Amino acid sequence: MASRVMPAATAATETPFFLRSVYLKSLRDHRHGLIGWSVGVGLLVLTESLIWPSFKDMPDIEKLFEQYPEYMQRLFDVSAMTSGLGFINAELFTLLLPALFLVYAIGRGARLVAGEEEDGTLDVLLVTPLSSTRILLEKAFALVTSVLALGVALYAVTLACSAAIGMGIGPVDAFSGCLSMVLLGSEFGLVALGVGAATGRKSLAVAIPAALAVAAYVLYVAGLMVESVDPWQHLSPMEQALASGPLGGGLPLDFLWLALGCVLVTLASLPTLDRRDIAAPG
Amino acid sequence: MEAAVRTSGLRKAFRATVALQGLDLVVPTGAVFGYLGPNGAGKTTTIRLMTGLLRPTSGTAEVLGLDVATHPDEVQRRVGYLPGRFVAYPDLTGAEYLRYLAALRGGVDWSWVEQLAERFDLDLGRRIGTLSHGNRQKVGLVQAFMHRPDLLVLDEPTTGLDPIMQAEFLTLVGEVSRAGATVFLSSHILSEVEAVADTVAILRAGVLVRTATIPELRAQVVRRWDVTFTDEVPVEVLRACAQVAEVRVRDRTAHLVLAGSAEALLRAVAPYGVENIETHEADLTEVFLGYYRHEEEEPWPVA
Repeated sequence: MASRVMPAATAATETPFFLRSVYLKSLRDHRHGLIGWSVGVGLLVLTESLIWPSFKDMPDIEKLFEQYPEYMQRLFDVSAMTSGLGFINAELFTLLLPALFLVYAIGRGARLVAGEEEDGTLDVLLVTPLSSTRILLEKAFALVTSVLALGVALYAVTLACSAAIGMGIGPVDAFSGCLSMVLLGSEFGLVALGVGAATGRKSLAVAIPAALAVAAYVLYVAGLMVESVDPWQHLSPMEQALASGPLGGGLPLDFLWLALGCVLVTLASLPTLDRRDIAAPG
Repeated sequence: MEAAVRTSGLRKAFRATVALQGLDLVVPTGAVFGYLGPNGAGKTTTIRLMTGLLRPTSGTAEVLGLDVATHPDEVQRRVGYLPGRFVAYPDLTGAEYLRYLAALRGGVDWSWVEQLAERFDLDLGRRIGTLSHGNRQKVGLVQAFMHRPDLLVLDEPTTGLDPIMQAEFLTLVGEVSRAGATVFLSSHILSEVEAVADTVAILRAGVLVRTATIPELRAQVVRRWDVTFTDEVPVEVLRACAQVAEVRVRDRTAHLVLAGSAEALLRAVAPYGVENIETHEADLTEVFLGYYRHEEEEPWPVA
């Protein structure tokens, strides 16, 4: 043994910071993904921003948008596309970025419990003094923190691009857009975490919130197209997140519904692990 | 003394199958308890019920005086658990993984962790993903022992360990048992627990077949003796012995099957001029095979 060269890890005399709690360990597990996604989202915003100067110089652009059906004008807020803010909002914040935040959050959320259970690492984690409620709560906080970190990255890159290219997106405008992405992603990511905790199956933990997100989007779009659906669309988290803009839409009260949704979904998932059998890894 | 584990009418049914049918089991505090049975007998189900990972369909499991169903966290604090298929985070080193669990458990003496790793010849600096199956199992053993739990619940702990490490493991079990801990270990190989267990329970198809101490089992061992006489074999004398189950004679040698004590036999044959006694050491496995053969199932793995 003495002859063996021990890497530095063994020499560590105390627990590494990111291994001190389930919360920190879960964040640690997200670090590579978070960096990759931040870079990806950053490049996306940058690319779109670089298109803006040539787009704005296109002649008769407003006439083109006037030909769009009315619901599409509202859906993508195209009338505002003549400004940099409006362009970035329509191109990114109304569909692409929400979808990316949903994919990120649902993927992480599904892995947090169902992924650990399928891998087989959950067994030992549960047979500790920590209650399953505490473990779920720490993982839920880690998920929201992780989505928030992606939101912060988006905020920074949006402001930087706007400043560099002169798109006129102010700090408050960017804040409302990014907060909307974070809240929307968190809510569906927490659904994924909850479904994973309730079923132990990663496939369901991805499929159910993804289906719900699509349903929420359909409800939102249908509300814009069909008058009779209109009152119902306000139930859709998509409507709550996107209807105000979301870039430059201020801080609508609808965001509170999203936050409330996050809290309710988390509370609903807390008792699920204690109520069922944990699958043996096989 | 209070039992470390007491189950009453513990039953577990999964959708299509009944894994455990009304188990009544008592594991005395401080015992090393071998839990034996063929694959699929319900050993892992019992263990997962004891650790709170499964909920019983009916009946109760009391661990360290607490009902697992109502006090899972308190039980889980005082239990060291090695799953049947232990999996750790492959991207962490052994040291990082154990530090993490130590942080979650609290109150772990790190020098004891290092001692355990040393004893198992485990390099804590390597990523778990790069370790061999046997070395990963050692990480699992260290995490089960590291917080000096009152009860160790080990599901097939020696899987993947080489004979030297198996011996080291058994030594460790003996040590913690003498220090007051209770050790509950499952196995499908009898010889593995024979050396270390005080008591064994045999499970078959979700039913407890037998609980016995090792000496009790030994008393039931069927041994084969070849007794050679100076003159003719006193067949009638041999047959008269209650413990002699079978006699076959060949020349001056009697081939005997002996069940129980040899005392009466030795006394009976002494006047007849015994030239030589050859004994064939019987394996406790044969006793178990007896229990096991009642039903046509997969053959008992003999190690």
